[in-house]
Amino acid sequence: MLELVIETILLIFLIGTGITALKVKDLLAAIVLFEAFSFFAMLLYLIVGAPDVAFTEAVIGVFSTVFFIAALNKLKRGCKQ
Amino acid sequence: MKKISLVLIILMAGVYFYTAVGLPLIGDANSAPNTHVSPRYIEKSYEETASPNMVTATLADYRGYDTLGETTVIFIAGIATVMILRTAASKKYKEERGGEN
Amino acid sequence: MHRSFGSIILDTSFRVLVPFTLVYGIYVLVHGEYSPGGGFQAGALLAVGVVLARLVQGREPIFNIKGTTALILAGIGTFIYGAIGFSTMIFGGKFLEYGRFPIDLHDPAELHALGMLGIEIGVTICVMATIITIFDALTGGEDLL
Repeated sequence: MLELVIETILLIFLIGTGITALKVKDLLAAIVLFEAFSFFAMLLYLIVGAPDVAFTEAVIGVFSTVFFIAALNKLKRGCKQ
Repeated sequence: MKKISLVLIILMAGVYFYTAVGLPLIGDANSAPNTHVSPRYIEKSYEETASPNMVTATLADYRGYDTLGETTVIFIAGIATVMILRTAASKKYKEERGGEN
Repeated sequence: MHRSFGSIILDTSFRVLVPFTLVYGIYVLVHGEYSPGGGFQAGALLAVGVVLARLVQGREPIFNIKGTTALILAGIGTFIYGAIGFSTMIFGGKFLEYGRFPIDLHDPAELHALGMLGIEIGVTICVMATIITIFDALTGGEDLL
């Protein structure tokens, strides 16, 4: 029962961060929200019982954020007003 | 156009939710994948590979071809990124050719 | 030496963090048969040190793998995987059949564990070098190729 409650809360956070990352205007904020999305996905994998996948998700989430920010730095384009 | 795409997305989501009801539950002992190949891996993987972690045994031993393909894909991704983004080298190359493409 | 941020806090925290990250990466690689982990995660953890050095200290950090070297290393990692696969064919088995290595261990299953450790080392080198390569290409650090 407790697992179900935690899963539901995490899924709500997952959907919330996903939709906000799509809707937000600032690209840097979108990247950080995507990292939060990846973190909640990692917690869900842990709850479901797949620690290997969760480990990969955590590490790849960190590096995708680094790559996105490097690409954004190269684009030199901040928020779209 | 926007409304049509919204309706299409909602329709697709409905189809996915309808299909997800038919999927087996997590940890269902009688589902199709849990009755054929999973018991074989769970029972025999420690005897055959001497590795207590079943995930590693499956990834690296039973499914070695898949992991080889995965590694090759990562390598190709690195090479492709370098080839697309090598602006400095291609500029130098153009200057050496003397401006004629 | 060019330092892009030049802050003593960043430099010191970099010096404290990186050794632990590298040791943890090696632990995840070697201990991957017993606990969650494996080649992919170990490669990414080892790449953390080099990428952090580039982020903190700029183009020419003290702890470095050059961009061209990283590209060569990625190829070497993939080659190690393929070479182990083909070496079992030389000893008379199928592709990636680890039980055919001509090493005398008390349990033939230990040969499988040995082969798995070998290919995980290949995956680790490939992933580490590829992450460094992509980071270099994105930040435009060096002239690659």
